[in-house]
Amino acid sequence: MEKVKKKLSENILDKISMDFLRNQVLKNAYGNDDTVIAKLDPRILLVWYLFFAIVPWFVNDVVFLAGCFILVAATTILARVAGLVLVLFGLGVFSQTGYMFIVSLFFGGNWETIVPLLIMTLKVATVSLASVTVFSGLDPDRLSNGLMWYGCPERLSFSISYAYRMLPMLMEEFQNVLLSYRLRGNAPDSTTFGGKVKYLIYQIKVIVHAFYPLMLNTAKRSRTTVEALEIKGYRYAAVNKEVKKMKLSSLKVGYNDMMFAAISFLCVAVTIFTTTII
Amino acid sequence: MERKQAATQSQKLMVFVLTMSLYGLATLFTELIPKFQVGIVEFSVEYFLFIPLVLAMLFDPMSAALGAATGELVFSEIMLGQFGGLGELEKFITVTVGVYIAGRLVRNPKNGKMVGIAAISGVVIQQLMGTVVDILKVQLAVEDFEAVPGLPESVFVTEGFACLNDIVFSGILFCLLPTLFLVPRLYGKIEPLLGMQPRTEKTALGALGIKAVAGSIIAFGVAIGAEMLAENGMQLIDWEADWAESGTAMAAGMIVAAILAVIIIAVMKKRADSTNTAADV
Amino acid sequence: MNIIEIKDLTFTYPGAGKPTLNKINLQIEKGDFVAVIGNNGCGKSTLCKVMNGLIPHFITGEFEGSVMAGGINTQESDIGELARTVGYVYQDFENQIVRPTVLDDASYACMNYAMKDYKERGMEALKQCGLTGRENDYIWQLSGGQTHLLALAGAVSLQPDVLILDEPIAQLDPHHADLIYEILKDLNEKYNKTIIVIEHHTEYIADYCKNVILLKDGHVEWTLPSADALCRVEELKQCNIYPPQVTLAAYELEHKGRIRDIEILPSTIEEGKKIFEGLLHKNTDKKEKSDLTKGEACVTYENVFVSYRAVKGEANKIFENLNLKLYEGEKIALIGSNGAGKSTLMKLMTGLIKPSSGQVILKDKKVKDTKPEQLSRYVSLVYQNPEDMFIKDSIESDIAFAMQVRNEENWQERTERLLERFRLAELKNRDGRLLSGGQMRRASLAIGIALNPEILLLDEPTANLDIATRKEIMSTLNDMKSITKTVMIATHDMQLVCEWAERIIVLYHGRVIADGTRDEIFGNKEVINKVGIRPPEIFTMGQTLDSNAFCYTVNEFVEQFV
Repeated sequence: MEKVKKKLSENILDKISMDFLRNQVLKNAYGNDDTVIAKLDPRILLVWYLFFAIVPWFVNDVVFLAGCFILVAATTILARVAGLVLVLFGLGVFSQTGYMFIVSLFFGGNWETIVPLLIMTLKVATVSLASVTVFSGLDPDRLSNGLMWYGCPERLSFSISYAYRMLPMLMEEFQNVLLSYRLRGNAPDSTTFGGKVKYLIYQIKVIVHAFYPLMLNTAKRSRTTVEALEIKGYRYAAVNKEVKKMKLSSLKVGYNDMMFAAISFLCVAVTIFTTTII
Repeated sequence: MERKQAATQSQKLMVFVLTMSLYGLATLFTELIPKFQVGIVEFSVEYFLFIPLVLAMLFDPMSAALGAATGELVFSEIMLGQFGGLGELEKFITVTVGVYIAGRLVRNPKNGKMVGIAAISGVVIQQLMGTVVDILKVQLAVEDFEAVPGLPESVFVTEGFACLNDIVFSGILFCLLPTLFLVPRLYGKIEPLLGMQPRTEKTALGALGIKAVAGSIIAFGVAIGAEMLAENGMQLIDWEADWAESGTAMAAGMIVAAILAVIIIAVMKKRADSTNTAADV
Repeated sequence: MNIIEIKDLTFTYPGAGKPTLNKINLQIEKGDFVAVIGNNGCGKSTLCKVMNGLIPHFITGEFEGSVMAGGINTQESDIGELARTVGYVYQDFENQIVRPTVLDDASYACMNYAMKDYKERGMEALKQCGLTGRENDYIWQLSGGQTHLLALAGAVSLQPDVLILDEPIAQLDPHHADLIYEILKDLNEKYNKTIIVIEHHTEYIADYCKNVILLKDGHVEWTLPSADALCRVEELKQCNIYPPQVTLAAYELEHKGRIRDIEILPSTIEEGKKIFEGLLHKNTDKKEKSDLTKGEACVTYENVFVSYRAVKGEANKIFENLNLKLYEGEKIALIGSNGAGKSTLMKLMTGLIKPSSGQVILKDKKVKDTKPEQLSRYVSLVYQNPEDMFIKDSIESDIAFAMQVRNEENWQERTERLLERFRLAELKNRDGRLLSGGQMRRASLAIGIALNPEILLLDEPTANLDIATRKEIMSTLNDMKSITKTVMIATHDMQLVCEWAERIIVLYHGRVIADGTRDEIFGNKEVINKVGIRPPEIFTMGQTLDSNAFCYTVNEFVEQFV
């Protein structure tokens, strides 16, 4: 098991280049702005999310949980989330529960242990997928508007938009700095086991060191950004209720949003029905 | 007088933006890079806390702490869709408190010993709070926690070990050493880029007061509360019992569901129509 | 009416020994299009930040005197009011854009100042800046020039009377540079905006600006109409500013007595035509031809295909079936518009980008089978942005880094020598990022050749530099010809191409459409027009006078026309 895992993680490390990571992240952030999910009203989606993020925790009925899971999974497909994010989701679920099962075997656990853990897995999976759908699928700006409507601090919604703006630039810069290290540095030979450990330590060292230039470069940027924000009236807007109203006036609940809510509701109702018959 | 206030405000915003971008980027990658596991020891590069720690020691600690927590929330949780609901509040608060306290402890960034102590205390504070919350989380999420064979022990062992592992491994390798490496190198260099004076004994904010400590404890309380609420808080509504035991309740539920769906669709159509006519006019 | 009035302004940054601006008195008329010129560090950017109120509102320091912008005293008004009077575009403009999409950023300021019609205002600004049709694009989908226009639109959206731009075309290719200036001209003439630019490119000043302000050591030396200002050749040269090549040529010819009785030196090609009309071209008759007897190929591209993963839709194809050979000892310039594949071509050699099919061979090594770490002994790439080259906390350790980790013999001595050679010895303990533009470039070149590579690749080594520093880097590059055998430079800087390169490769949409000497390339009108290459002004001047004239420098022009 350990061997398999080690091999797997090594392979993944080899295959995942910075370029691939960057592409996947960008794809996830900008590549799915024309899906059904992306166009929904953020307020409805946030309520929807809240339901699927909270309710599964209180229910221990397998059929109900499975039903919710299927519904949420369907919306994730609709949102066209990038592959890597789904892989992460899988790993995340496993690391939360599968791992615990293995450990519990050492402490005299048995197949009985698996049932509560399976239920927990379903819960975790549903909740995580719901968040993948809403936060990956929704257009960032609509998301931040939605959060603002529910009274989240202005700073947060600014941060979300700003992060989406800066991400490609930051990643490119990080990539360039890492490449400088790669080309000019001298990585230890990684063919033997000792070499592999050294290689790993080397990699980590490089990543840590890379933040020194990155901090200084980003500091230069931040200054211009904040000065520009001041000129553009960022602080003025933060305390002005009128501006908030204007920003939020673009939010409208439409036909599609209703339909989405109704269908979700229907699905939940059907699963409840099924549960009670069984 | 007012002008001076504004200047420090925008400098705080700079520190916030800087920390948010950098720590956000770092957590984005750690979220993407798979973890190494040798036995139950987890070697993960998860911990880039040295970034906000360094910045909190050089600049305004509160802005750096909030920036770091926001950066992690926005870049790795929201952007990648790994948002864990209300539970994220716990991480937000523990990171903020840990970084803030570490930043406040350092009065003179040239003093290597102080920087080291502050860095490691920041980690320990953050980790301990995280572990307490984590254990409580599993305890409440799994029904009859005590009754499942092997589970309680495994939870205590895994969580306890993870905490120790994080403090010893991540704390020393990823927080203490990088912070000791970076602070003296950045000191005096990065401040002018943001148009600020380097921190000295005189310009430091002063020792941690009772207020800061009390604030931290309250924040931790909120963190636990949020976590509990997220996991288990509203058990007042006992859904399961209702559905499983009474057929009538089931039927009622279904009818209500159907009616509600119909109403919603009707409202929907009406809306669509009215907007259409509005558009016609 | 004066839109800007500065009286006895003195400003000192906190901690600075002497004032950056010293007793400045300045008036700028409404509707003017004015260039601010001056040596590096003479206070140009500081002056602009004073006009839009960033100083003293956000940047503190000792401030004396008064600044009036559009009738408002900048010290007494609040920043919001000022933003509606003076718009500012930074030199690092991409950091000024804070929203993810185009329209969103253009209308952001209007929204923040609670203007109900913020969307319309944003659209109007985009229209004025020629970005109509890109409203819903993400910022990263824009080219460098468009990003700059968006930064401008963000400032224009509040409809200020004054627009200040800090080196607007420093990072752009000639096509985009023209675009920016055409739009500024439009804003100036049609919308009656007062435009203030900090500018090193005197050709653009000659073509577009009405007046010129010379700053020297923190005070205003003079304000003159452009044509007069650019004639003061000696004075400008003292401040490290180079007048247009046409002006320099006329200045030289006048000194030699070959042209007489001119009231004012020409600063544009049109004016030059009139003045130089009487001169005859000495037929030199020796056209440089490509040397066909080339030595050993040191780099070979065989049927290379490269494509990029796109965020949306199909992958972008960069190269389709590229075949190319580079020979040992060549000095190659790689030209072509942005996005033609110049950087990709170079990165293929370093192994950072792998072809989807086909192969790249370095001497006898296949790039595919060799690790980038090992290739770096043979090939070295210097990035366009020198800041990305600095990974250590002093340039000395940056230069030493690659040799040190490889345990090269006497790396200390070699580092010393490199520091001497690039005149960096006194700066060796400074952080690369905190140096001036020219010093930064020199340091990055020293880092690039530290491992004694056989092939040196330089991406835009003269971008973002003022003309004086550019000249300095050019002479450094000429010195370096003896150190590194094979050098390839990707660039938009045609003066550099003409004065340095022995072979020019023109890329167009991922294909090599021309390859040869400068005479062969610049003499080929078809290629020039297709790719949008802008030869040095003096070359065009010569061509306008006589189509047989191939002069690439002012000296050649002066020698060839009698």
